[in-house]
Amino acid sequence: MPRFLRWILALSLAGGLLVGAVVLLPFADWLPGGTVGDVPTQQVVNGTAFNRLFPAAAPGEELVFSQEKRGFSEARLKRSGELVALLAISDTTTAPEARDKFAAATNSLAGWPLVEQGSQASAVLVGGRFQVKVISQGVGLDAQARHELLESFDLKALAAVRPRRIGPSTPAATFPSLRLVR
Amino acid sequence: MARPTVLERLERLPRRGLTVLALQGISTLVPGGWTNIRSAEALIKEVIGDDDPALIARIRSRADLLSRARAEGYGRALSLYDAVNRSQHAAGRVRLLATVSAGLPLLKRLADLTPPGDTLQAVDLSLKVAAELLAFTQVNGLPGDSFGAFGAALADYAGEARVRMAALICFDALLPLGDQALQRLDGLLGAAGHKDLQRLPAYRQMAGLMPGRGDQAHLSFLRRGVNQWLGWAGGFSSELALTAQSAVQAVESTLGPWQGRLDQFAVFLDAFTDTYAHTGVQAVARRLVERAAAEV
Repeated sequence: MPRFLRWILALSLAGGLLVGAVVLLPFADWLPGGTVGDVPTQQVVNGTAFNRLFPAAAPGEELVFSQEKRGFSEARLKRSGELVALLAISDTTTAPEARDKFAAATNSLAGWPLVEQGSQASAVLVGGRFQVKVISQGVGLDAQARHELLESFDLKALAAVRPRRIGPSTPAATFPSLRLVR
Repeated sequence: MARPTVLERLERLPRRGLTVLALQGISTLVPGGWTNIRSAEALIKEVIGDDDPALIARIRSRADLLSRARAEGYGRALSLYDAVNRSQHAAGRVRLLATVSAGLPLLKRLADLTPPGDTLQAVDLSLKVAAELLAFTQVNGLPGDSFGAFGAALADYAGEARVRMAALICFDALLPLGDQALQRLDGLLGAAGHKDLQRLPAYRQMAGLMPGRGDQAHLSFLRRGVNQWLGWAGGFSSELALTAQSAVQAVESTLGPWQGRLDQFAVFLDAFTDTYAHTGVQAVARRLVERAAAEV
């Protein structure tokens, strides 16, 4: 191969790499992977499994689901249109340090360790893995009311939840809106 | 290269400037108003209703971990907002140049080359609505087990970001397209061709994320997305009695008087304010903190 052709090839390769990198830069956020704490998604329970375990809304109340991710589901409890609490179930697989606070728990609820976090939040650890938390909002709920809410979750079924074996994480799983709009 | 996390972005938001003034103006139309939250600590305190520094620090580090995880989508939502914002600036500046140069004989041709047109404005608005929908699914996933639950979650989110939605309706629909903007929108989108779509820089960045292949499929996706949103937006704007005139008066109360036409005002706001990305960062940060607070 002539010398100058080699140069051209090398330069065009280098240029191509540079252009490719610059073009892809704004899309860095959209590359697949990058899970919480680098825990593989297969080991984490999907938030969909938690939804049906939330307490049913009483008359005059409204339960609006607000976030559902892998290992997490959250809903807002409203009474006559006013937000009173955030209810959440999370899988502590990606946040093992969250379990530490339950080691010193002196109270229990339905047999599971119960802690108060600050003045507005109560949490219970179910099956040594799932954290159920009530954070009161606005005018707020007292500890008693928060504990009653925690009790009305389906804790027994929650303790039995296991991650479902699914295939390797697919692009469809990381971009759920595609399934929605089609 | 470390990208700033969502909470770092929140702390970098401007305290004053045209964007903040425009939002403060619009917020006078919305009951409940708007506070320009720029402090991660204040946001965390507001969500948990407690000011234990150790707890706040734990929530903060959890939130940063979550926003660095690409699969969680918080960073992706921000990149969507940024793309739309860049596109809005670019389009706004070109049209501003066209408006200015229309008065100069030699540059008149430039004005002819850049017809902003109602159709283009309608496509721009529909891209923003689509970005909002895509960003919602990135931030919140698909909450609930049914389509009804998803709709409720969406309406709830929009209700929470009332000032954000009011700004979108006023700055991108009522000001440039007039008071009948929401009624006209579907017709305008029906008239839009793929050329109108290609003119918007944000489209090139969002095209890959939209379902369907090709400009026609994307246009029909945008149209359907907007029709979903219109039902909600129509109720919202009649509830608050939003009109182009009331929007201008509200913004004039903070920005000062405006002498020109309404659509010129819209072009000016497009070119020099970041209301969409500004409130977007704040909305994403709040959802992120709500999650982090529940997980620690």
